[in-house]
Amino acid sequence: MNNTNPDLLALITTLKMAGLTTILLLIIGTPIAWLLARMKSRYKVIIEAFVALPLILPPTVLGFYLLIAFSPQHLPGQIWQQTTGQQLAFSFSAIVIGSILYSLPFVVQPLQKAFEQLGDNLTEAGAMLGAGPFDRFFNIVLPLTKASFITAASLGFAHTVGEFGVVLMIGGNIPGETRVLSIALFDHVEAFNYTKAHILAISLLIASMVLLSLIYLLNHPKNQKQNSVKRVKA
Amino acid sequence: MSSKISNVTNQLSLNIHCQLDAFKLKVKQTLPLNGITGIYGRSGSGKSTLLRIIAGLSPQATGKIIFQGSQLLSSDEKCFVKAEKRQISMVFQDSRLFPHLTVLENLQFAVKRRLTNTLNIEEIIKLTELEDLIYAPTATLSGGEQQRVALARAILVEPKLLLLDEPLSALDYSSKNKLLQLLNKVSQQLKLPILYVSHSLAELQQVADKLLVLNLGQVEAYGNIHQIIHKLNHQPESQHEHVEYSMPQLANQQTSLSLPLKNINENHQLITLALGEKQEIQLPFNTHLSTLLKENTEQKKINVRCFVLATDISICLTEPVDSSIVNQLFGKIIDITVHQQQVLVTVNCQQQDFFISISSYSLDKLALRVDLSVYLQFKASAVRTHIR
Repeated sequence: MNNTNPDLLALITTLKMAGLTTILLLIIGTPIAWLLARMKSRYKVIIEAFVALPLILPPTVLGFYLLIAFSPQHLPGQIWQQTTGQQLAFSFSAIVIGSILYSLPFVVQPLQKAFEQLGDNLTEAGAMLGAGPFDRFFNIVLPLTKASFITAASLGFAHTVGEFGVVLMIGGNIPGETRVLSIALFDHVEAFNYTKAHILAISLLIASMVLLSLIYLLNHPKNQKQNSVKRVKA
Repeated sequence: MSSKISNVTNQLSLNIHCQLDAFKLKVKQTLPLNGITGIYGRSGSGKSTLLRIIAGLSPQATGKIIFQGSQLLSSDEKCFVKAEKRQISMVFQDSRLFPHLTVLENLQFAVKRRLTNTLNIEEIIKLTELEDLIYAPTATLSGGEQQRVALARAILVEPKLLLLDEPLSALDYSSKNKLLQLLNKVSQQLKLPILYVSHSLAELQQVADKLLVLNLGQVEAYGNIHQIIHKLNHQPESQHEHVEYSMPQLANQQTSLSLPLKNINENHQLITLALGEKQEIQLPFNTHLSTLLKENTEQKKINVRCFVLATDISICLTEPVDSSIVNQLFGKIIDITVHQQQVLVTVNCQQQDFFISISSYSLDKLALRVDLSVYLQFKASAVRTHIR
C-alpha cells in the first residue's frame, strides 16, 4: 500500500467513500423521501428544512459539530468506540457518515418530488390487486421513478466526490483512510505542485461534466419513455 | 387476515362513520352480495368514499364492516384488514393502469397475486374483447379500452367482491354501452357480486338489481332498483331535509321497467313486451338485443329492462287512432305533482306506474285530475333497453 501512488490511493478512497455513501444514502433517503411525500403534518417543514440544511450550511460548520459529536468525549463517539473498539473521528467511517448527512438533500429532494408526482393512485390500484407495500414499491413505484433514482444516486455520488470541508474537519488527511481527491488537490496547491493539481482538477472537472451530461440526457423528454412519471395519469 | 365471526356468508354488513374535513359519512346498511348493486347519489354524497372504505383505502373510517361473515373493520376490537388482504377488487374512474407495463403485463400483475386460480387469463381476455390489444402499451389505448383492461385486471385477481367507482363517467356513448353489456356478462357468467357507483340512474338502471341511494353521507333509500327509481321520481323536494337536495330533477325522471319478452317481429324489427295480461310495449329490435337473444336459448324467461323518460311520454284523453306512435297504453292518473312550470303526472297501467312530464299549460288545457282515465303515447324508439 505504501508504494501506491498517493493520488491513486486518494482516488480509490474517494470512490470507496462516494460509492458507499451513495448506497447508504439511497437506503436511508428513500424512506425519508417517501415519508415527506406522504406527510401532511405541519411539522413536515421542519424535517424538510433539516434535510435541506446542508445546501446552505457552510461545510466547515457541519464538520465542526460532527467532529465534536464523533470525539470519544461525546455520546455518539463513545457508543461507536464501545461498539467497534475504534475511534470514530478521523476514520473512514467518520467521512462516510459526514458525507451521508452532507449529501442527504441531493438524494432526498429528487426522490420526494418523484413520489409526490406519482401520487397514490397507482399504489392504490396495486393494493386492490393484492400487492403488499414492498411489492407495490418494487413493482410499481421503483420502475416508474427509475429516472429520479438514477438522478438522486448520481447527484449524491458527484456531490460526495467533490466534498472538501466536512471531510477535512472530521477525517483529516490520512492517506488510504481519509485523504480524498479534493484534499489531495489542496495538498498539491499548497506545495505549489501545479502540474499534479492540474491533473486532479481537470480529471474531476471532466468526470463531473460527463456525469451531469448523462443525468440531463437521461431526463431529457425525448429519452423518457413510457416509464416516466410524467406519463402517469392522475 | 380477517377472522370468521358469523355464518352470514353472502352479505356485506356496514355500520361505519367517516369524517373527512367538513364531510361526514354515516352508513348503516346490509347489502346482499349477489348480482349488481347500484350506489347512486349526487356529487359529494359520499358514494366514492363509501367504496374506498369498503375497499380498505380509507383507514380513518371507524365502525364495523363484516364481509361474507368475516370482520374487515372493527374499531372496538382495533381490527383493520389491509386493502390487499380483503380480496376485494376495484375499478376506478380513471382506470389506473400501470403505464410501465403492456396490457398483458397489467393482467399478469393481477394473475401473479391472486390467492385462487380459477379463471383462465385467455378466457377473460376473450370475454373483455382485448385479444388485439394485449401487447399494446396502455398509453396508446382509448378511454373505453383502458376501462376494459382495468375491468379484466380487476376480475383476474379473482375477488370475492368487485367495486366499480364510476367506471363509465369519462367514456363516450358507444363505449359506455359496450362496457355496460360487458358488465352484465361478467356479473352473470362469473357470478361475481358487484357494487357499482354512479351518478347516472340510466346507467344503473341497465345493470343493477338493487339500488342504494346516498344523500349527504347518509342512506336515503335502498331496495329493488325499479321501485327505488319510482320512489325517487315521486318524492317531492319539500320532503327532503336539505334545501340543496335536487335528486332527481324532473327533466331526468323516468319510468323504469323490467318486463317479460312476448314476441319478436323480425319483419318490422320490433320486439313486444307484455305489460300485465292485456297491454304491451313495443321497442326496436337492435343488433345488441339480437345477439343476446341468440345467446339465450330460453327466450321465454327473458325479462327486458327498459326505461322511458318522463319527457318522452304524452297524454291523451281519448284513444289515439291512426297514429304512427306504436305504444298506446290505457291507465288512470294516481298523482299530479306541480313543480314550478313543470308537472309530473303518475299514471298506473296494469299495476305499473308511468311518469309523464308535461307543462302546466297542458295540465290546465286537458283539465287533468287524479282518478281520470287517460291514454299514454310514446314511440318505440323512446324505449331504451337492455336485456338481463
